[in-house]
Amino acid sequence: MPPKRKAPGASVGPKRSRTGTPAATPAASIGSEDDYSDSSGDEVAEEDMSRVINKFSITGHENVDAVATKKVDAASKFFVKRGRDNTHLQLKLGHASRPLWINPDGTIILESFNPLASRAQEFLTTIAEPQSRPQYLHEYKITAHSLYAAVASAGLTPEDLLGTLERFSKIAVPKTIAQFIKDTTESYGKIKLVLKDNRYFIESKDPQMLQKLLTDQEIGPLRLQEVVKEKAPQRGQLVIPGTKEAAGLKQAPNQPRVPNANAQNTEGGQQGTTDDLFTSITGIKEDEEGDDDEDEDTVHSFEISAESVETVQKRCFTLGFPISEEYAFRDDTKNPDLNIDLRPHARIRSYQEVSLNKMFGNGRAKSGIIVLPCGAGKTLVGISAGCTIKKSIVVLATSAMSVVQWAQQFKTWSNIDPDQIATFTSENKTAFKGDAGIIVSTYSMVTQTRGRSHDSEKMMQFLMGREWGLLILDEVHVVPAAMFRKVLTSINSHAKLGLTATLLREDDKVSDLNFLIGPKLYEANWMELAELGHIAKVQCAEVWCPMSPEFYTAYLNEPDARKKTLHYIMNPRKFQACQFLIDHHEKRGDKIIVFSDNVYALKAYALKLKKAFIYGETPQQERMRILENFQLNDQVNTIFLSKIGDTSLDLPEATCLIQISSHYGSRRQEAQRLGRILRAKRRNDEGFNAFFYSLVSKDTSEMYYSSKRQAFLVDQGYAFKVITHLQGIENLPGLAYSTLAERKELLEEVMLQNAEAGGQEKDDFDNATGLSYNANRRGAKNRRTKGKLSELSGGNTMAYMERNKSKNKDLKKSQFFKKLNRETERRKKEQLEMLKG
Amino acid sequence: MPRVNKGVLVECDPSIKAILLKIDQDAGHAYIIEDLDESTLVVKEQKLADLKHQLDAVLRKTSMQEREEESSGDDDGDF
Repeated sequence: MPPKRKAPGASVGPKRSRTGTPAATPAASIGSEDDYSDSSGDEVAEEDMSRVINKFSITGHENVDAVATKKVDAASKFFVKRGRDNTHLQLKLGHASRPLWINPDGTIILESFNPLASRAQEFLTTIAEPQSRPQYLHEYKITAHSLYAAVASAGLTPEDLLGTLERFSKIAVPKTIAQFIKDTTESYGKIKLVLKDNRYFIESKDPQMLQKLLTDQEIGPLRLQEVVKEKAPQRGQLVIPGTKEAAGLKQAPNQPRVPNANAQNTEGGQQGTTDDLFTSITGIKEDEEGDDDEDEDTVHSFEISAESVETVQKRCFTLGFPISEEYAFRDDTKNPDLNIDLRPHARIRSYQEVSLNKMFGNGRAKSGIIVLPCGAGKTLVGISAGCTIKKSIVVLATSAMSVVQWAQQFKTWSNIDPDQIATFTSENKTAFKGDAGIIVSTYSMVTQTRGRSHDSEKMMQFLMGREWGLLILDEVHVVPAAMFRKVLTSINSHAKLGLTATLLREDDKVSDLNFLIGPKLYEANWMELAELGHIAKVQCAEVWCPMSPEFYTAYLNEPDARKKTLHYIMNPRKFQACQFLIDHHEKRGDKIIVFSDNVYALKAYALKLKKAFIYGETPQQERMRILENFQLNDQVNTIFLSKIGDTSLDLPEATCLIQISSHYGSRRQEAQRLGRILRAKRRNDEGFNAFFYSLVSKDTSEMYYSSKRQAFLVDQGYAFKVITHLQGIENLPGLAYSTLAERKELLEEVMLQNAEAGGQEKDDFDNATGLSYNANRRGAKNRRTKGKLSELSGGNTMAYMERNKSKNKDLKKSQFFKKLNRETERRKKEQLEMLKG
Repeated sequence: MPRVNKGVLVECDPSIKAILLKIDQDAGHAYIIEDLDESTLVVKEQKLADLKHQLDAVLRKTSMQEREEESSGDDDGDF
């Protein structure tokens, strides 16, 4: 039976549920989505945590509908054991025309072949998080965060929500779901932390909520001023640059910022100062005179000091009212504005627009994460967000190469003054001129705790000492790692935007990101983007290569796990399959990249098949040369890359990807590799398909890992075909390892390798070998020596000798000198005579 | 007098055969009479059921081992 892929719903083994949950497995599946697992192991914290989880998990509410099922067939046991038996739920009349199944545990199944499916899908993407979107049945999940996003940015009320769900659903909406929705929308997100004029305010529409907070013994004393009441922020005149609205707005350049007649707009700077005056005098802000909108929303807020923000946040969380942060950037007069705008040729695509709308839904900047597939234009989303906020920006990327790319992209897509972009990497540290600007750096530079050079230290002080408007985190899935969390506490930024293609980690820390940065604002539909032509369509296939018998016996007998991997990677049948595929695709004119995690295998394959390869220790010059040839030279159509190709290289486009070895079950890696071919320029050609092959050795543990890796891609809608036999592979001329003797030889070589060879490549491409390979090699440190100038000029080892010194005397006797002497004597005589006479 | 041993002809995948050979080797050649070619063996008749049992055990163990390996080897290597 094929091993299960790591779907978030299925619980395999006890390690998944890290906090105590009352019910059996369904709770584990929900709990892991919503909970914030506190790793401190604090007793009280655990208790509070489970209270909040119960509040926010659907099974915290009693499930009164469950009735023991009577029907039993061969498949029932799989469902009953997991508590997923929903046979007791009644189908409505006309259920065939409705597209949704709503499970009591919060998952929603959408039939995508239903005529109403597209409308339902739009609705579901606003209120729920997509889990899996293959061709026919989509799976979504309602979580606290997704509900909050729906309420906050789309302005949906719980009644609206339930009404629509009821309409679309085949079964009556389970009571647990209805209760969950009501409860969550009631308490979550009602309290906001707002930064205005550099002061922190706790804001809420519901005065009772604030009262609860104020009477709490921890928060009460932290309040700085009287409670103020003012109008709720509206989207108003906020226009996100680059979108269609902006295009229309360009016609009338004087329009923005003019206050509206009915005073809906509360964001004007002038307004802010008069409000301040009011507050200082009366302590309570009056509604504006002559305001005819009685039913306008009002918000109440009280101020707290900057240092107490974290305490308040934690306390509110334990009370069950998690705070959300929003940045009122238009009101922020203290931070200097950054004069940045998108260039006119920058076109924002529909899905980018949707994601930005979610971020700037109500006129303020919400912190959060946007998930877009590789090559879909995440950088542009980040830049547009920056252009909307128009304050200083810090961008953090994973490697020095990405830093350079981000800086370039900023210059390409926006009209920022090049002096105002600074990069902060180990090679160069610059600062920007003026009050506001953009700094691009890497995570490792910022989180380095010791051993900083003087320049770096100064830069760090600069970064930590001021307030930033926007912090853009590229590849944000690395942030939950303990190292990089520190980034967020050391850099003070009002709004944080995380960008990634793969919000996955194999260690469940992804849910922490909700609280470290913000909720997931938007996740793109890969299939949809492929349909629209923004990313390439890909055919994914898994090629099963049987192990040749001698290798298999050796594999079985090998006790060491790492050496085992070497056996199944170096399977001669794999060589043959690889060779065949390369041959086939080269004939079609494709550019092929072959990936291998394992350096030993990489070299073996590349040398055997006579292709160029790049790995961590390849010098920079050679890399550039190989990549250029790959791009431009018709003869070079295949290159072999190691893990370095995953992140550190600026890869040219390829149309075919072959993977011969990979790192366990890492879904993220698989998805990122696939991303390499999604950018293919030819994607808009009719009927064009990119190809992604994963070669696995049959009957080894590689098969198991392979199916796990594909989990993410399958969820995005890619179907993996299985190729068990390559037609015509035996007839390939020059097939590698076709004789037993050759194979035995290979086996001997493999067995001689030590365990190191079976591991994967080390990761520090950036510092040692990224851009500055040669510089570091020479050990770029300054030395002081004492010495003579002759040493420095290189003359230390030389000596000189005069020969024939006596020749000079002969010169004096020459004609020239005699004549000279005569002349001088004559002149002397004349002068003497003149003096006398 | 010629001795007659009852045997059973076993046909299988080369990989499974390799596993059977390994089991046989560990048990000191107690199961297999003759190895014919890449996918056929002749096995002692009484030992057949036992051999099947052993094979099941090994296969189960490998898949369990994979589950364990997966949890330990899951470090993404994310910096």
